[in-house]
Amino acid sequence: MRTLERITFEDSNILTMLLGSTPEDLDQLPFGVIGFDREGIVRQYNAWEAKAAGLTQSRVIGQPLFTSVAPCMNNYLVAQRFEDAAGDKQALDRTLPYVLTLRMRPTKVLLRLLAPAVPDRRFVLVQWTP
Amino acid sequence: MDDIASMRLELEALMQFLYLAPVGLVQTRHDGEILLLNPRCAQWLLPLAPGGDLQNLFAALSPLAPDLRQRVDAFKDPYGKICEGVHLPVRAGRAPGSFGQVLSLTLIRLDADRLMAVLDDVTEQLRRERALRQSQAWLHSFVEGPQDYACISLDGQGCIEAWNGNIERVVGHRADKVIGTHFSALFLNEASAAASDHALVEADAGGWVIEEAWLKRGDGRRIWSSALLAARHQPGETDPASRGYSLVVRNMSGQQETIEELRRAISCDHLTGLANRRAFFEAAHAEMQRCARQGLPLSLLMVDADHFKHVNDQYGHAVGDAVLQHLATSLSHGIRGVDVLARIGGEEFVVLMPGTRLVDAELAADRLCEHVRRHPAECGTLHVGCTISIGVAAMIQNDNLEDLMRRADVALYAAKAAGRDRVRTWQPESVGQCA
Repeated sequence: MRTLERITFEDSNILTMLLGSTPEDLDQLPFGVIGFDREGIVRQYNAWEAKAAGLTQSRVIGQPLFTSVAPCMNNYLVAQRFEDAAGDKQALDRTLPYVLTLRMRPTKVLLRLLAPAVPDRRFVLVQWTP
Repeated sequence: MDDIASMRLELEALMQFLYLAPVGLVQTRHDGEILLLNPRCAQWLLPLAPGGDLQNLFAALSPLAPDLRQRVDAFKDPYGKICEGVHLPVRAGRAPGSFGQVLSLTLIRLDADRLMAVLDDVTEQLRRERALRQSQAWLHSFVEGPQDYACISLDGQGCIEAWNGNIERVVGHRADKVIGTHFSALFLNEASAAASDHALVEADAGGWVIEEAWLKRGDGRRIWSSALLAARHQPGETDPASRGYSLVVRNMSGQQETIEELRRAISCDHLTGLANRRAFFEAAHAEMQRCARQGLPLSLLMVDADHFKHVNDQYGHAVGDAVLQHLATSLSHGIRGVDVLARIGGEEFVVLMPGTRLVDAELAADRLCEHVRRHPAECGTLHVGCTISIGVAAMIQNDNLEDLMRRADVALYAAKAAGRDRVRTWQPESVGQCA
């Protein structure tokens, strides 16, 4: 918990820290965290993200990310990159500017796509564009 | 407190309803500024909007529907439907008649300051409708006019083996003149042997294929026809003796004029009167095929007005529109009758020059640049100077429209980067630099 408080969106070691954290830990973070499994089912959805999207965690956890939670990421910029990395058995760490429609308002954000080479747990991080 | 809790739940359910709606929904101010939009809408608009900027719907859609703002301005009712299910071709297909991607747009005025738009991807629907229309038209023809079609039997190479009696009336050839010749000989040059072989391959793959083409009658007249080519052999059959096709040709003359009229009505850009994207894609596919078949060169100019945003910002959209109209007129006076000129984006035009080599197209482009530079647009008492940049590319072997336009775009970008008001051509050696 003490280490998590100091995690920033850009942290180079963030994947290890996210993998070892509890839902309560993730709720403390000042940016959005969506964790999903190999099949693309959302397993973690932190408080920041829930507030930004206007959805409660219980409504989202257990749903397929790219079809039922964030269809706007189901394209070559996001979903395809996760698929390609998994296909090549490569780790993924990529930050890109993006526009999300949070609460139906076009919002400029930075996305960070994270996946280990064995993608049992993968993450999309969301931060307001500075 | 319970009321608030249940309202929260309802709000959340509504939010999710909009997040997951399989159509694009967007609400804007009267000037197109986006107030609300759902993810599906963003998914379709983002790849169009340069820099991923989703501030204004008219700007985001301008590459596809540059005249949207005019359409809205021209709609004088305080509320109501401005347009419904208008097709916006996003990309050219790789072959004539094929669809790259088509979005459909419905736009509604809610009140003086709000517009609402619905976007949907209708690519697959259009493909299905087209196939359905064709088969319906065929069924109809057998019921309505059994005298108006002819059946021809072809061997495995596409040469005519036999036909029924009607064909002498429909095609106007005598049987003994055409037995043994390749079926492509029945059609005008447009349907060359290569295109006909392609039809055979398609019939092999899919069982049958329907094409519309000009039929060359024995008396030299041409009639518009629809031809169905069906493989009689099983897919994958390699024994030449077991291969064969049936060709059914139907006289479509009379319907051609109606089709042409309809086509004209939907192929015009509202502001400039030039061909729009849809019309351009169609004409360009046909011209590219024709030139490729006849071994003729073909060039394409991608034309863009320089600093056009400044004109709009400084003088307003009315003057901007007048400048675009002026540009359209200047360009159309500077090209030949056979060239195809279209407005394909906000301030972007394209000129297709059949039979023209790259060097000649470059000269023509230079002339256009100079003419535009010397002739400012007159808007009332105002004289607005304007320049254009042009990228030129020529057709190469096995080219397709999408690639040709992309290369001209690369050249246009180079012209912009070199300081605008100039012409750049795409050279094969720049392939390495692009890749």
